[in-house]
Amino acid sequence: MVKLETIVIRSTAEFQMIKITEQVRDIIARSGVQNGLAAVISAHTTTGIMINEGLECVETDIEELLERLVPKDMPYAHAHFLPSYGATGSNSPSHLKSMLAGNSCMFVIQNGVMLSGDAQDVYLTEFDGPKGRKVYIQIIGE
Amino acid sequence: MIIDVHTHPIFYKAISEDRDTLDYRKRQFGVFKQSPSPIESTLQEMDYNGVTRSILLPIDLTTQSGGWIVSNDDVKTIVDLAPDRFIGFASVDPYREDALEELDRAFGELGLKGLKLHPSKQKFYPNDEQLKPIYEKCLAYDKPIMFHAGMSWEPDAPSKYSHPLHFEDVAVAYPELRMCLAHFGWPWVKETVMLLLKYPNVFTDTSILHMDNALDFYKQVFKVDMGPLWIERNLNDKVMFGTNGPRFKAKRLLPALQAMDFRPKTLQKILGGNAEVFLGERRNERPWLN
Repeated sequence: MVKLETIVIRSTAEFQMIKITEQVRDIIARSGVQNGLAAVISAHTTTGIMINEGLECVETDIEELLERLVPKDMPYAHAHFLPSYGATGSNSPSHLKSMLAGNSCMFVIQNGVMLSGDAQDVYLTEFDGPKGRKVYIQIIGE
Repeated sequence: MIIDVHTHPIFYKAISEDRDTLDYRKRQFGVFKQSPSPIESTLQEMDYNGVTRSILLPIDLTTQSGGWIVSNDDVKTIVDLAPDRFIGFASVDPYREDALEELDRAFGELGLKGLKLHPSKQKFYPNDEQLKPIYEKCLAYDKPIMFHAGMSWEPDAPSKYSHPLHFEDVAVAYPELRMCLAHFGWPWVKETVMLLLKYPNVFTDTSILHMDNALDFYKQVFKVDMGPLWIERNLNDKVMFGTNGPRFKAKRLLPALQAMDFRPKTLQKILGGNAEVFLGERRNERPWLN
């Protein structure tokens, strides 16, 4: 069995870590799949899907690390007008943070329940907000 | 207070139900890979950037390609959703036989606050005799004009029509007609500066991000192409904050503008005070004559 659901989220800041753990857990629970895998996949190039501990201090450290690794003002090649977009590419740091974060994660489903460690939360990480975002949850199993 | 004097509401969901209409707008404006979003998202983005009000600009292309990049009625629809946040402008294709009637409807019935004209996209020279009745109509209603000036990213929009010098005759003939030559008339920045300097009724806006990132491009235009203190000393009453959204974003342009080391008073004028004068909200003020 394969099931797909889409979560739509509106971010409210340029950088934001939005917990979607409970939404993913609910979608898995009502999918009817007893044993299998759930993939959580972002539809975007300036967001990330992360698993980490859902603590404010951890979120702060992640944000500050990404800021150190990807400074705002560098001679990024992407900073030019893009005819395919009709706009200037002013968001290279957002793309690079997205690359570092990755755009998907997976969970095991056992007996209809998402298996995860006690400390694990799933985040949609926004690097170019505020924006409307979509996350696909694809469930594969039986 | 921040007023964004230059936005094109191409992707506002309330006016994007019809797919063919939306596709036409995208093609004519040359903007892609974006989707309609609800008004709440736009207001949230404005709040995030501290933008109090935005001017919404339509473009009438009736005789050029049989449509609109957002119509006057579309603008009215959006303004009605948040009248305290949006300032609706009208547009009219100067070659329409009923151009003056449409302007009467837009200013009278729809209550729109100014006129958007795009010489390159609508293919007219601003100093053409044919435009006189339109300028006089704006004067009669005391409405300002937002002119596209300089290079346009839109397809089929030759720059020759929007060279800043073509606006000088208009500024001379109609000294009471408030007009904005948008985008600093780039690349003819010095020609635009000359008009700003000489004609009290001529304004410009900051909706330029044609190369580089916003900070680098503003430094180049405002500090190198122009003398580094020209805006501060000579043009502080003539420059208005504008983005040209959805092409360029407030979240990029605003921090760059704020990094230009303008005096707080000058920055305040650029971000909103000059727009109030342009819009006619602060009548009888002619600060540039001090």
